[in-house]
Amino acid sequence: MAIELSYKKTFLHHINPSMKFIIFVGLFIGLLLIHNPNILFYTCIGLLLVYFLLTGYPFVLLLLFASPFLIIFLSSTITMMLFGEGQTTLFQYGVIHVTEESFYRGIHLGMRSIVFGLLGLLFALTTRPVSMFYSMMQQLKLPPKIAYSFMTAIRLLPMIAEEFSHLKKGLKIRGMEYKKGIHGFYQKIQLFTIPVLAQSIRRAYRIAIAMEAKQFTGNRDRTFYYQIGFTRYDTYFVIFLLATLLITFYMSEQLPILQVKDVLSL
Amino acid sequence: MSTIAIEKLRVKFPEEESFLFKDFSLSIRKGEKVLILGPSGSGKSTLLKILSGLVPKSMEIPIKYTSREISNSWGFVFQDPDSQFCMPYVDEELGFVLENLGIPHDQMKELLHRYLVEVGLELEDVHIKIERLSGGMKQRLAIACILALQPNTIFLDEPTAMLDLEGTAQVWETMQRVARDKTVIIVEHKIEHVIDFIDRVVLLDEKGNIMMDDTPKVIFEQSKQKLKEFGIWYPSVWHEYRHAKTEINQPINQSAETLMKMEDFIGYHHKQPKIEVSNVEIKKGDWISVTGENGAGKSTLLQAIMKLIKTNGKIDYPLVKNHSDLYQRIGYVFQNPELQFVENTVYEELAFSLRKEKLSEEENKKKIEAQLKDFHLLNEIHKHPFQLSTGQMKRLSLATVTITSPDILLLDEPTFGQDARNTFRILEKLTRLWKEGMTIVMVTHDPMITELHATIVWQIKQGKIIHIRDKVNLREEEEVGQVGDRIIL
Repeated sequence: MAIELSYKKTFLHHINPSMKFIIFVGLFIGLLLIHNPNILFYTCIGLLLVYFLLTGYPFVLLLLFASPFLIIFLSSTITMMLFGEGQTTLFQYGVIHVTEESFYRGIHLGMRSIVFGLLGLLFALTTRPVSMFYSMMQQLKLPPKIAYSFMTAIRLLPMIAEEFSHLKKGLKIRGMEYKKGIHGFYQKIQLFTIPVLAQSIRRAYRIAIAMEAKQFTGNRDRTFYYQIGFTRYDTYFVIFLLATLLITFYMSEQLPILQVKDVLSL
Repeated sequence: MSTIAIEKLRVKFPEEESFLFKDFSLSIRKGEKVLILGPSGSGKSTLLKILSGLVPKSMEIPIKYTSREISNSWGFVFQDPDSQFCMPYVDEELGFVLENLGIPHDQMKELLHRYLVEVGLELEDVHIKIERLSGGMKQRLAIACILALQPNTIFLDEPTAMLDLEGTAQVWETMQRVARDKTVIIVEHKIEHVIDFIDRVVLLDEKGNIMMDDTPKVIFEQSKQKLKEFGIWYPSVWHEYRHAKTEINQPINQSAETLMKMEDFIGYHHKQPKIEVSNVEIKKGDWISVTGENGAGKSTLLQAIMKLIKTNGKIDYPLVKNHSDLYQRIGYVFQNPELQFVENTVYEELAFSLRKEKLSEEENKKKIEAQLKDFHLLNEIHKHPFQLSTGQMKRLSLATVTITSPDILLLDEPTFGQDARNTFRILEKLTRLWKEGMTIVMVTHDPMITELHATIVWQIKQGKIIHIRDKVNLREEEEVGQVGDRIIL
């Protein structure tokens, strides 16, 4: 079961993965500290533009990937609106009671989850795991032992998926009928996890031995098949990022969508 | 320096009562090509890992010896093509080995091309996913990887056990070319292809004692009986099996009742049509052998019949009343039996198969024990299916499927990867079931099995049955694809 997606490489694919990683982690933390929904709104717009225009994947595929975030947006927004606390009533109908505070906080929370989701997707779609770990070994001095463990584990994933589908067929052949409800769930876990885990552990152990047989020692002094450094694309990216941040802040000051500056101090 | 030797080796696995090797000594000269033979469980594979130094350096097995000389540069090819690579692409895997050796980056591209050419893997683009290679190609990639280590000794641990005939031939042809001046130590069950390559055979018994240590000629002439006992595929084994078998299979039951009929039947994999059958019948008493190259669609055909994949077109099962009955009336044994076990003991595994027959506990027990006895598994009755050896697992999966006496038995490579003894055991068992009236459809790579057992041969090519040979009525027909335009692959 091979999942291969076709895409065009854009400059986002050429950025040094370690730098990309650090910047994205920085953005994640930074966004946690922002309580102004206007900034989040413009960040959201900016990220959507980057996501749809600069990742190099077909539009339909991008929509498909992003669709879960719409659900997360709606669910977190609505939950916060309905159950959040507040003083100023905005809308009341029976048990439904929405206050102004909870309304804004809901919108804010929803946008934040979208932004987080998009950032994660952006990183995942434009970074090959192998390149990331090679870069981390070279720029961030990640021990090869850890880097190769991760790369091997990623290689195992499609094999596990394939085994899973074989197992499903195997159980069908045996005429397995699953119980209903929670018991069925427990039964499935039992039937599927044990064989898949047993096989994976065995396979991982064999691969580890094969790696040592190929004289892998985990030492730090090694050469690299992929030499990953910094290029002009990294400069472009930093400039692009700074510009986007500036525009976002500027727009949120000049053209605020919501009349709220801080969702915490409502 | 360049010899490999071990003196007074002792190995004892914690859970075992007795020693596996007791005061075992062996010495191998530089450049020698040695084949280690023995029954399963004789520790051949462990011995190979000890001689290479992988035990105890990478694998913790308690061993003791008075002296040991190991090679300072060696390569190891393992049995399973899918669990010896750590990177997703061919070039990256070779790159990984070159990195381990500290080869400068700018020499890597050229070197990895050279090693790939040496093993006959001339790929258009070396940046190709390893999972897209065939088994034989994967094992040749493994050889390319060890060539990069520039070894003077090569260890081969049943490198072709999971390959078909073609892959096996490719691997040994490659080894003969690249390992001429190297020391080679081999563990292998299928010796037909290695026989010209080796100049010494070490024969072990169950406890890991050396029974014989001589040239191949002497061993194969003098200890054929032992080889047979140990289940080794020595060159004339099929010949003798055929000799012992008095009759060619003749359908016992000529009622010619149709069990299954396919018309313009198509099986899909990932929305692509992978197998197309224009018009074929399976009659009671047939023993059909489905043959063809790797990826031709043989297993897909079986899966389509069982409705495990998406299908289209017409398939009739006159005997099957409703859908849930399908899996009762048609038994299917996977190539990898491990994936069709559902219970925690061998006994429960069979009880699960019988659950729909609603027998009393007494009857159940009687039936299960008889079946286990029949499949030589009675001693394993309380074990977990995963604790069994591969041969035992295969027999258990056959036992679970046949205990309900289905009308048709579908088998995907029933003897694949089995030693000679197990293979013949399985074939004998199948022959008996068939004589009792079971219809068999089996996918097999082995021309000898087709030759000796099948009554009808379906040859599949690029997703179509291109040729049907009825061995009993001596009739052949070329299947003309009527659905032809929807091309497969």
